[in-house]
Amino acid sequence: MKFHWFHGMPWPHLPADFRARNRSVWVDADSRLYDPVEGGRLYHEYLDQLEFAERVGFDGLVVNEHHQNVFGLMPSPQLMAAALARRTSRAAIVLLGMSIALYRPATRAAEEIAMLDVLSGGRVVAGLPLGTPMDANFAYGANPAHFRDVYREHLDLMLRAWQDPDVFAWNGESVKLRYVNIWPRPIQRPHPPIWMPADGISSETWDLCAERGYAYVCLASRGLAPAQAAMDGFWSRVTAHGAPCNPYQGAVSQTIVVAQTDDEAQQRYQEHIDYTSRHTLDEFAGWTEAPGWRTERGIRERAAQTLATASVQRPSRVPTWNERIEAGSLAAGSPTTVAEQLEHLMSTLRAGHLIGVFHIGDMSHELTLSSTRLFAEQVIPRVRHLWDDHDDHWSPSPLASAYDRTTTREWVGVN
Amino acid sequence: MAELTTLDLRPGGQTAHVWEGGDANAPALLFLHPVTGIPRWGGALEALAADFHVIAPYQPGWGPAKDDLPGARDGLDLVLFNVDLLNTLGVESAHVAGLSIGAWIGAEIAAIRPDVVQSLTLINPLGLWSEQHPGEDIFAQHPGFPTAVLFTDPERRNELLMADRDPLDAYVTELLDLRASAKFMWPIPDTGVGRRLVRIDTRTLVATSEHDQVVAQEMGDIWRAAIPGAQSVVIDGAPHAADLEAPEAVAELIRSFALEGVTA
Repeated sequence: MKFHWFHGMPWPHLPADFRARNRSVWVDADSRLYDPVEGGRLYHEYLDQLEFAERVGFDGLVVNEHHQNVFGLMPSPQLMAAALARRTSRAAIVLLGMSIALYRPATRAAEEIAMLDVLSGGRVVAGLPLGTPMDANFAYGANPAHFRDVYREHLDLMLRAWQDPDVFAWNGESVKLRYVNIWPRPIQRPHPPIWMPADGISSETWDLCAERGYAYVCLASRGLAPAQAAMDGFWSRVTAHGAPCNPYQGAVSQTIVVAQTDDEAQQRYQEHIDYTSRHTLDEFAGWTEAPGWRTERGIRERAAQTLATASVQRPSRVPTWNERIEAGSLAAGSPTTVAEQLEHLMSTLRAGHLIGVFHIGDMSHELTLSSTRLFAEQVIPRVRHLWDDHDDHWSPSPLASAYDRTTTREWVGVN
Repeated sequence: MAELTTLDLRPGGQTAHVWEGGDANAPALLFLHPVTGIPRWGGALEALAADFHVIAPYQPGWGPAKDDLPGARDGLDLVLFNVDLLNTLGVESAHVAGLSIGAWIGAEIAAIRPDVVQSLTLINPLGLWSEQHPGEDIFAQHPGFPTAVLFTDPERRNELLMADRDPLDAYVTELLDLRASAKFMWPIPDTGVGRRLVRIDTRTLVATSEHDQVVAQEMGDIWRAAIPGAQSVVIDGAPHAADLEAPEAVAELIRSFALEGVTA
């Protein structure tokens, strides 16, 4: 198995009355709650945590893109990836991902990923999601009526821009370019591995991944049952395409907290888990489904669920610690407990890449590092063996050795 | 009785799905539906068919024309669709009445092809933007009842838009109709028609609904001021979906203005 350390970079200082004064943590939350000076301190703390994760043995460092989001202060994951590329040397740098349909021309996204791949010595994973209606449509104004068409076109343009050695013209609906010829080109050939994160049931994403051999990333934060429905759907499409179900084509994200004992885990971390839940509870529904975001097929797949929830009271309380663990939306406890939970999760979903969310809400630097270290030292060794009998074709293929910068750094007086 | 027919348009052969009702020799009325399309024949359309040869097409992207949305890139394509439809039906000119997004299409037709428009009635028109009067965002609504904001009460949506139809099909159509609207009105309904309204030389009536949460009554004044010689009225008690909640009032408004020039 492979273990990746994810950072969402949340704002940790929401007031207790946030929900009373804001309908959403996304799109229109009161920006006066943000303090840029504290924001700068947090960026450095969060980047330190990612660097620490590499030091203690994680395989990948994961950053993502959100806009106008209290819990995602990374409008540009590429900027954070660039900082990590200079300060790390071994771990994969996983962009999970870039909202490529928002880049015009999309060659800009291809260029930036190529830059990162070169800068990092071939350590980049290109997570290329459709995105969310909140980010893409409501915050960035992209038209949902043809957003999926734009996304597919940009994806195809990027793939060709990375691979075609000759200058070519691109006459698309979204992008028209007379001369496409990006410099630099990625180190990884034919291109960095592509991962597709998707939230919930999305048969179109399953098909895209199965057809093209991309890795599918499912979020377990809503619990094991929905994650299993999503992952089973994906594997059924892979099988239908005649491909083997290699677990490394699947990734799962999960919230994880570890302490010496189960009780200590609850005592240390529950308030931080609750911080996030309390502020996101009863999220404004009007942002969640921009018209056209789903195709007719997607609407029909989701309609039964939507029609049902429309008449049902939305949740009015934060789930308890035990409810979360039982539902499988949280892995928490002693190293032994967490190892058992994760072995069960990853074998049930048949997934080879675990994307761990270790920093949650307003968790302190000290607690984050402590949980991360315990996980690396006492959980990873227990679970690492899973899927040893499969080859991982979805991780980066970096250069055999990192660039030797000793001389140049000595000349400028930097160690 | 009205009939829903499918036609190939001249020139080009594009398909149109169109309700036709009333006496073919009566004055022609091109009815341009609102955001919610035409859920069924009846109501305002049936009342209008007593005095008009009613021509009520689904615009590309709505209802049975849901798969035709990619072919309509902008307002000009919608103008050509409607002009080609009249041409195909052998109608040289017609009274034009549009509601909501249909009012925008009607204004575009009158600005670009004034020769085909005998009179223009715009009801709760979308298509202009005012920071002072933004109205509710029709695209940021609860996905379980996405058009409820267009009605005086969410229950009225269930009764008037969803009733008599398979619930799943009605819901899918509701969302796909909104998708079509989003194509032309996202993220804010500034279509650029404001630059062309001065070209309209047809007699024009602008109506706004008293309880429209989407198009503020002040928007009626802005439209009226931008169209030379236009008049304006308010429909008492009606919401944005005036065609469904106040069908008699809407029909009478269109009839009396188109045929008699009366605005009361």
